[in-house]
Amino acid sequence: MNILQRIKNVVRSRSIHVAYVDVGSCNGCDIEVLACLAPRYDIEQYGIYVHNNPREADVLLVIGAYTPGWEEKLAMVWEKIPAPKAAITIGNCPISGCLFDRRGTFVDPPVKKHIPIAAEVPGCPPRPTEILQAILSVRDSVFANWEETHP
Amino acid sequence: MASSVFWYLREFLRAAWIKKFLFAKTAPLTTPSHFRGFPEPTGKTCQHALFCMMACPAPGAIEVVHAGDGWIPRIHKGHCIRCGLCVEACPNGVLKSGRIQETMQREGTSLLFSFRIAIDKELCTGCGNCCTACPVNKQADAQMGAGGHSSNDDVIMRVQEGDIVVIHEDKCTGCKTCEVSCPNGAIRIARILEGYQQPVQEGSQ
Amino acid sequence: MKRIVDVNIPLGPIHPCFKEPIRLKCEAKGERVTGAEVELGYMKKGIERIMKGRPWQEVMFLAERVCGICSVIHNMVFIEAMEQISDIAVPPRAAYLRVIANELDRMQSHMLANFSYCYTIEHETLGMYLLDLREQVMDELERLTGARVTCAYIIPGGVRCDIPKKEAGDLQVSLDRMEADLRRYAGMFEDGPMIALRSRGVGILTQEAAQRAHVVGPTARGSGIAYDCRQNHPTYQKLGFVPITRPDCDNFARVMIRFDEVFQSIDLIRKCLHELPKGVIRGGGVCKAGEIRYSGEAPRGELTYFIKSDEFGRIVEIQIQTPSIMNIEACCHEMIIGSDSIADVTATFISADPCVACTER
Repeated sequence: MNILQRIKNVVRSRSIHVAYVDVGSCNGCDIEVLACLAPRYDIEQYGIYVHNNPREADVLLVIGAYTPGWEEKLAMVWEKIPAPKAAITIGNCPISGCLFDRRGTFVDPPVKKHIPIAAEVPGCPPRPTEILQAILSVRDSVFANWEETHP
Repeated sequence: MASSVFWYLREFLRAAWIKKFLFAKTAPLTTPSHFRGFPEPTGKTCQHALFCMMACPAPGAIEVVHAGDGWIPRIHKGHCIRCGLCVEACPNGVLKSGRIQETMQREGTSLLFSFRIAIDKELCTGCGNCCTACPVNKQADAQMGAGGHSSNDDVIMRVQEGDIVVIHEDKCTGCKTCEVSCPNGAIRIARILEGYQQPVQEGSQ
Repeated sequence: MKRIVDVNIPLGPIHPCFKEPIRLKCEAKGERVTGAEVELGYMKKGIERIMKGRPWQEVMFLAERVCGICSVIHNMVFIEAMEQISDIAVPPRAAYLRVIANELDRMQSHMLANFSYCYTIEHETLGMYLLDLREQVMDELERLTGARVTCAYIIPGGVRCDIPKKEAGDLQVSLDRMEADLRRYAGMFEDGPMIALRSRGVGILTQEAAQRAHVVGPTARGSGIAYDCRQNHPTYQKLGFVPITRPDCDNFARVMIRFDEVFQSIDLIRKCLHELPKGVIRGGGVCKAGEIRYSGEAPRGELTYFIKSDEFGRIVEIQIQTPSIMNIEACCHEMIIGSDSIADVTATFISADPCVACTER
């Protein structure tokens, strides 16, 4: 691995752009992600910038249980994101449907069967500290050695 | 306010300011102890009363499994919503989460369960599946007949002359096995929960 | 009938300013907006269908998760409706504790709405100040109930846990500090010239249009309609609650009304702590059969639950009418039309405080 690839690895893991998609949640996890932007939990000190543009993103945050309104659209959004990329699900809804997975529901959990997921954060909703830990663990496991695993 | 360039330069070239700008991070983040986290075992023995499973609102979050000779409740993190009802409903204090156990002891609060059996006579065919499936019936009368016939008077319900008769509704533990085994959906169990507090004496606030 | 428009701009489900997926199709002639349409359906989970046949201990959590931002009021309205059906009396201490939790939730929801507006106007500094203040409110809510969001604090017959004397004192101190900070931030908003340029006179909703469109909440009170469901609630009547209105009907009035309501909530919590009666916090009681229509005041407007229950307290039929349904509709058909530029469309939409998760449950 030459010096250029090493520089690429370091730079990619120090500057992460995040886009988030809400595929049908109650907004609880959404406001905990916003709380991460607050000066107390300050996600920007790690070089992580939360805008909402899939074309410029590295990490996609998926929130919510998969509703029929997002049938093929989530896969289309995932295609639009250029590699290297990772998807993180936040909350219980994308893992198991949380409380909505009962008879008579419209949701289709888990989200793992629609797009590939790199990390999951359980909780309803998870605390901002747990969300930060998940994003930082993805940084170390996916972006820090991207050049070695994807020649 | 000094509006000259030199004033600004002197401000921003101070060592203290440069050090803070380059190296300051936010304070270390800790979870407070009163946060209601995922329930954890306290160490007391689980008596298999299963009230935690009755009270849990999230499907598939808690189940009571074998651990050595006894039982222990196990929480699945992707399903649990951290509501704390299982902690409050357990009569033996096997789980703890946040400050719930301390407040329950200090204020004398608890959650009480009672179970009711409701049978829709129009849908019931008298097949007796519910009587043979009921685990309390099995313990009371191990020789219950295939159609739910029994001569034992300790069972919760039995089939008499083609009709179902409920004898001891108070023995029901609310497991809903009968509801699952009924082919018509005629029998339904209601789990009635009540928030209860012992009356306070004067001066203990 | 064929309409001729210059351009049809979709403000799509994923947008930097919209936190929730909603599609807003604006028809514009050049830069001036002549019409707008809303396309919903991205968040429909079927919560009302799931609730059928379930007892209160499961429906309560589902009702809370209709909207995570205003979760305490959904909890409170549902439980109070069940109590009215079953004639369960609430001990007075529990009634005051419920008001404290409700007002804390209202404060954090209004601060979030104002942060959203400042972020849309690109005034990130003020937005971050408000978000930091909101963290202090969430700390207080966590200390009272045990969780930051979706607290599950209110149950039939009372509340789940009590507030010790020392913590009530800490809450008073925090409220004083929050009020001092918030006066500074509200002053910054009121006096800022750039903010006035983008908010005063933008997104006008006249009082007649507001009455025609049946808007509710701060959106209506910013147009002079003085209606608030808290006027009809017995505990709030004891505290002497009066709704606040503002006569100018633009974005600026709606955002300033939310600041005013946060100050009003701080006063209400102080009064509650001062008058908190002693006694038990749970009075017991089981849910019974009945039918009711019950309303409460969510941070965004009037929230109504139509509930029908059977003899064991399980839900037979339920319908939830959330405030954002009326507000989003009024926003698209009255406020956006006639905007001078597309940039004002997002600002106007966010100032009406839409909560799409409430709109489609």
